[in-house]
Amino acid sequence: MTDLKILAVDDSPTMRRIIINTLKRAGFSDVIEATDGQDALAKMKVDKVNFVITDWNMPEMDGLSFVTTLRGMDEYKSLPILMVTTRSVKDDIMEALKAGVNNYIVKPFTPETLKEKIEQVLAG
Amino acid sequence: MPTNQGLQTKLQKEIEELALSITEIVVKFRELHNPLRESSEKVPQATEQLDKISEQTEAATHQMLDRVEEIVQQVEESKSGLEKIRTCVKENRIDDIEGIIQDLTNKADVTCNGAYTIMDALQFQDITSQQMNHAASLLEDIENKLQSIMGVLNGRQDDKDKSSDKETGKKNRVYDPHADLFEKKTEQSVIDDLFAKKT
Repeated sequence: MTDLKILAVDDSPTMRRIIINTLKRAGFSDVIEATDGQDALAKMKVDKVNFVITDWNMPEMDGLSFVTTLRGMDEYKSLPILMVTTRSVKDDIMEALKAGVNNYIVKPFTPETLKEKIEQVLAG
Repeated sequence: MPTNQGLQTKLQKEIEELALSITEIVVKFRELHNPLRESSEKVPQATEQLDKISEQTEAATHQMLDRVEEIVQQVEESKSGLEKIRTCVKENRIDDIEGIIQDLTNKADVTCNGAYTIMDALQFQDITSQQMNHAASLLEDIENKLQSIMGVLNGRQDDKDKSSDKETGKKNRVYDPHADLFEKKTEQSVIDDLFAKKT
């Protein structure tokens, strides 16, 4: 579990710091970050990541477009993706589900929920 | 002196121009109606959003202050524990030290957990930031509507053009209009069920 390389995508620097700190507390120390979908795609060309945590509302490329783009690429069809967002309307969650998100957390989250969802996604 | 015929023609022309002006005024009032209605709807929305930000920021701040007070209390007690150790060493009561160290370790754990709780609570910044962007976006819409009203009143098209130019230079606001620190439209357990059904 600890050799997992996680990409945390969020336009809020505060949220990125909180997510990275929470991940480190949970034993996931190899984390890289990106500010939106476009930045994430650029980072993924350089670093091989095996887990993505992404926000939804972001400039340039939002989380939903980012997930749709990844699912359209052969190499990322089965990449585990966890969406962490403020969006809690059921229709939005269904849209994320259809786009190919593996699990979904509504902000604000607890460290326990984040760890639990990562483990659930990894367990398949 | 104009003839009756000439006077009648002049009067008819004046009346026609007046009728045209009235039609123009009616058209302008119709143009004003929508921006005014939309603006009057958006002002309460923006106010409500700003009130929500104020309330949620205060609640989050109180949560953090509670944790800070707990941490300060633990640190004060830890200092007192260290003094006890000093006394034990001076009085050569080595056997008593183990219990004090255990107590200090527990206090350090509580302090650390308190700090983590503060870090988790800081997620409010992202949520209130989105609420602020929503409120700002509503205010910008009102500004645009007012500019379009001014354009109609001044009989100028250029005000509309100016506002659209201005729009391009405006900050690209990305936000969830339903972002809320305490109220989630869908509970995590319901989300879990949705994802469980998929697998």
